[in-house]
Amino acid sequence: MEPLLLTQRERRKLASQYAERCLTCGTCAGGCPVSGVEGLDIRKVVRLAVLGLDQEVVDSKFPWVCTMCGRCEYACPMGIDLLTLIRSARWLRPRDKVPGTLHKGVEMCLKTGNNLGIPKEDYLFLLEDVGEELAEELPGFKVPVDEKGARILVTINSKEPFGEPEDMTFWWKIFYAAGESWTVASENWEGVNWGLFTGDDEAMKEIVGRIVRNYKELECEYLLLPE
Amino acid sequence: MGLERWFKHEGVKYLSVHDLLKEYLEQGRIKVDKSKHPELTTYHDPCNYARKSEKTFGHGYYEEPRWIVQQCCENFVDMTPNRANNYCCGAGGGAWASPYNEERIFYGRVKAKQIKDTGAKLVVAPCHNCRDQLMKSLKKEYDLDVEIKYLWELVADSLIIEPKE
Repeated sequence: MEPLLLTQRERRKLASQYAERCLTCGTCAGGCPVSGVEGLDIRKVVRLAVLGLDQEVVDSKFPWVCTMCGRCEYACPMGIDLLTLIRSARWLRPRDKVPGTLHKGVEMCLKTGNNLGIPKEDYLFLLEDVGEELAEELPGFKVPVDEKGARILVTINSKEPFGEPEDMTFWWKIFYAAGESWTVASENWEGVNWGLFTGDDEAMKEIVGRIVRNYKELECEYLLLPE
Repeated sequence: MGLERWFKHEGVKYLSVHDLLKEYLEQGRIKVDKSKHPELTTYHDPCNYARKSEKTFGHGYYEEPRWIVQQCCENFVDMTPNRANNYCCGAGGGAWASPYNEERIFYGRVKAKQIKDTGAKLVVAPCHNCRDQLMKSLKKEYDLDVEIKYLWELVADSLIIEPKE
């Protein structure tokens, strides 16, 4: 194996702005539950990045096993932007190599307005149906859709209409009890932005932008962030 | 987060679930009965509401959720460590939707132990992702004898509702 001359490193894409500051103390990796998985840990990822060995990090599944929880970054005495490092490694993966359903969800959201591709008619029918059921317990309850001038615009996690519709009623009960003025949008109502996880800024921005448009068009005062 | 980064000029005012639930309780817009949850209860700090919010927005939601939980529960205990140093559930950052199940469950062992050590019978999480990992995975993988609720589920289940005509 040829020695790697530090002066001849290729232009590094991965190394975050502050990675060179690393003292290799290991505080980051010491408090991480997945240190050692895939033979890597966050300290080693920093070393690889500083050495310009980007591809080893990008090809490894470590950046996807890491949950970007930020515990390492919070503890780093040198203030290295470790989350940016991991997220860039995710972004450097070709999109068809993004593991699991994450990128498919992003594409689906861009195309249909929600990560799971629930058609508008089904979604509206479900809101009405679950709403009517709740009205038996809470007289007069109805899910307000596209209600202009409502105080709060509420987004929905698509997994709920998809598989756990009853769970939507927790918030609905609270709004009812509080006498809140609220609404959900009939389109682009997804509250989960997987662009954050896949490192996809363009998609992330587009999805947030659609929520902002709903908020403006419906003239709401507040946007409730579901999580 | 995207709001702050790209749409700050739009002047969107946003509320987190903690802000809103706290507002309702403080202003008396909703009433809750804590005797509905007498069991020992603990709270899971999601990374995004806790240290990542502190870093991104300058405010970590540490005390608000604990206050809300204690309006709805008679007995509260914290995990160790907690707040900014809390451990991730193991399914964050998209891991819940990734194919690496074995690693995700392995990651969660730390969270499972934290929960077990409290002796709590009810765990409250204000994040969809954390709740799914705790309820649908860690509970059975690590034989946790606990019930898991969303923060808003806890509040909804504690409500004293006067039907409106």
